[in-house]
Amino acid sequence: MTAAQMLGTSLLLALFVLLAGCYGVLYCLARLRVSRLIGRAAGTAYVLQGLSATLLAFSPLDFWWKALLLASFVAYLPIPPLTWRLLENLHEPEEQHS
Amino acid sequence: MYAEDPAFWRAGAISSTLVMLIVLAFLTVDSIATIRPGGANVPEYTVINKEIRYEFDSESSRYRPVIGADQPLFGRVYSPEQAEKAMRLGKLVIQSRNCMNCHTFFGNGAYYAPDLTKAWLDPAWQQMWMPMTQAATREEAIATFLMYPEKFPTWSRQMPNLKITREEAEALVAYLKWMSAVETNGFPIHFGHIQTNK
Amino acid sequence: MFRSQQLALKYFAAAMTLFGIMIVAGLLASTNYVQDGFLMNKLDFSVTKMLHIDTMIIWLLMGFIGAVYWFVPIELERETVGIRLAEVMFWIFCAAVAVVAAVFIFVQYGPATEMSLWFINQGRKYVEAPRWAAIGITLVVLVFIYNVVGTAIKARRITGIMGVLMVDLIPLFGLYLIAFPSMTNMSEDQYWWWWLVHLWVEATWEILIGCIMALALMQLLGTSRRIVETWLYIEVALVLGTGILGLGHHYFWIGTPSYWLGIGGFFSALEPLPLLGMVVHAVYDAGAHRMKTTNKPAFFWVMAEAFGNFIGGGVFGFMMTLPQINLFTHGTQWTVSHGHFAFWGAYACGVLAVIYLALQKSRAAQQLDGAAWKWSFALLNIGILGMVGALLVSGIAQAFYERAMGGSTLQAFMEGQTNVWFVQGIVMRLVFGFVFAAGYVVLIYDLLTIGKKRTATEALQARVAGGPA
Repeated sequence: MTAAQMLGTSLLLALFVLLAGCYGVLYCLARLRVSRLIGRAAGTAYVLQGLSATLLAFSPLDFWWKALLLASFVAYLPIPPLTWRLLENLHEPEEQHS
Repeated sequence: MYAEDPAFWRAGAISSTLVMLIVLAFLTVDSIATIRPGGANVPEYTVINKEIRYEFDSESSRYRPVIGADQPLFGRVYSPEQAEKAMRLGKLVIQSRNCMNCHTFFGNGAYYAPDLTKAWLDPAWQQMWMPMTQAATREEAIATFLMYPEKFPTWSRQMPNLKITREEAEALVAYLKWMSAVETNGFPIHFGHIQTNK
Repeated sequence: MFRSQQLALKYFAAAMTLFGIMIVAGLLASTNYVQDGFLMNKLDFSVTKMLHIDTMIIWLLMGFIGAVYWFVPIELERETVGIRLAEVMFWIFCAAVAVVAAVFIFVQYGPATEMSLWFINQGRKYVEAPRWAAIGITLVVLVFIYNVVGTAIKARRITGIMGVLMVDLIPLFGLYLIAFPSMTNMSEDQYWWWWLVHLWVEATWEILIGCIMALALMQLLGTSRRIVETWLYIEVALVLGTGILGLGHHYFWIGTPSYWLGIGGFFSALEPLPLLGMVVHAVYDAGAHRMKTTNKPAFFWVMAEAFGNFIGGGVFGFMMTLPQINLFTHGTQWTVSHGHFAFWGAYACGVLAVIYLALQKSRAAQQLDGAAWKWSFALLNIGILGMVGALLVSGIAQAFYERAMGGSTLQAFMEGQTNVWFVQGIVMRLVFGFVFAAGYVVLIYDLLTIGKKRTATEALQARVAGGPA
């Protein structure tokens, strides 16, 4: 790996997780505000994360790391909705009480 | 639904923790066998009587230590007991002088001063310190520098004099020589070899 | 107020004092990078750096211990068992810390003998405290365990959170025993040392702060026990499920077998996933309560914790954790950048949140708000963001010029350290260090004064209730 490749790959890896975070936060905001627009922004963030994963596919990382990145890219998709649903289901009985 | 039942997650927490701990225990047994002196990755302490190089191994595509011909340290050949004793003292110097709060070993420590993992192999000893200290050998140059760092500054960031005795300095040099022969999976990358477009 | 809670306030005061010493030591150490020969032979870099990281460990630990002493009587509805002994141990703890700091500053180092390790310095990063002091810390933790377990037994009541907490106290104590031996073989030394450092910081402490945050959320937002306990179990499963073998990312280059490259890389690549879940949770809570809380500062510090943990631990960690990248970044200022951000996000913010919670109760303030906490919140967070950003620039320059282009030797090290990007980054780190320090000063002012002045409505209510106005 050359110096430039090292730098490019590491920054893409940071971007990869950062965009996952943006996707998560925007997804939640979209649910809170019931906003289509923010929902679309969340989708865009996830697509951009996919783009960073695609670029990483051309990095000098070994094959298995690329496979792991792809797998975790897929795994990031359901985390916000699943967590959200779990939280809603957990909170529901109490809100009916009060 | 299971997911809303705390007991479901409690069971998950306990089982995932236990599984991971068991795996860690097995890996630890294997790792400790590999890193004991004389294990697959860590040489016997008597390696200080040998020449040590750091070369690119195309099969594993990384740099690896290579142990060469006999090369006495400070003009003597250390017996296993002497080598062990020198290593013990060397390690005590490293701890008592708090080396790790400026330097790093295997990349761990502070980052104010150079990494010492392969310091024994640093070409600077021959290029800078042997002429400066007027020492005939690399080990003499290192020992002299360690005892009187303020007399042989290399740049504006200097090492303080830590009152290292001659005996302690020799033990420390032996320790650094041994450490340079540890197989570290290629860290630090291409040590002593300026990177060309490989 | 329970005596246990008064003790907690003492622990918080000690923690905040050490937080200040940590900042001063950090500023001194970072000045060395900007001005060569700064305090040379008086207070060398090794001394200030050691004080910086050791006070960091101790203030966070004191914050955790204080938080547990605060919540245990609330959770179990009775005074903590053995509270008198705990009070004695607090003063012993403080005295020991003061003596160790004095020895570090005035004696600094000794000859290469076991005696030096017993009485001066053990020279192992994070656990430099000489052995006698390490025994003292062990005793403090043992008494702490006795307090917690004893209270649970007396109360004949073990809640889910208390159960997790008590199990977690076993490794908190057991792993610390690794602070004692001095092994000749550096590989083996670092192998076990990482059990202490990683399994404390990325496992035991994570669970401890998880329990503390669970207790805090019940108080802060009135979240129900079932919810926080479910969430705590999920967190334990995910944190330990990925974190225990995440230990592998420290075993890349210390002589350990190469299978750790795969294991360490794999599990640390999973580590951001639970952190994302926590961010979702934080946003959900913020939305569900529409930011309405009687304790704004605590609420904001809880939020800062969730986001700081994700970015500092998740993003900054993932950037450098795969072995192919880590080969270049390991042991550079890049690591320092990640370390600062992750400790801040994961622990410091949480401890500050709990302190604000405790102050609200102890000062019987209905509402905790004002201008000062906003200033300190902003200055501290801008300070830390500036520092980690600047260190990242320096770290990238170092990895690039020293490792990738140079040959990692002394010559390459010097070239990296004098590179213009590196130098500018390290200067900016110091500048933002002062911003952070300013935030600390405001924080202390705020902690001393907030909630003491009652609002007109509160005074009125108090008068109606027949209390002093």
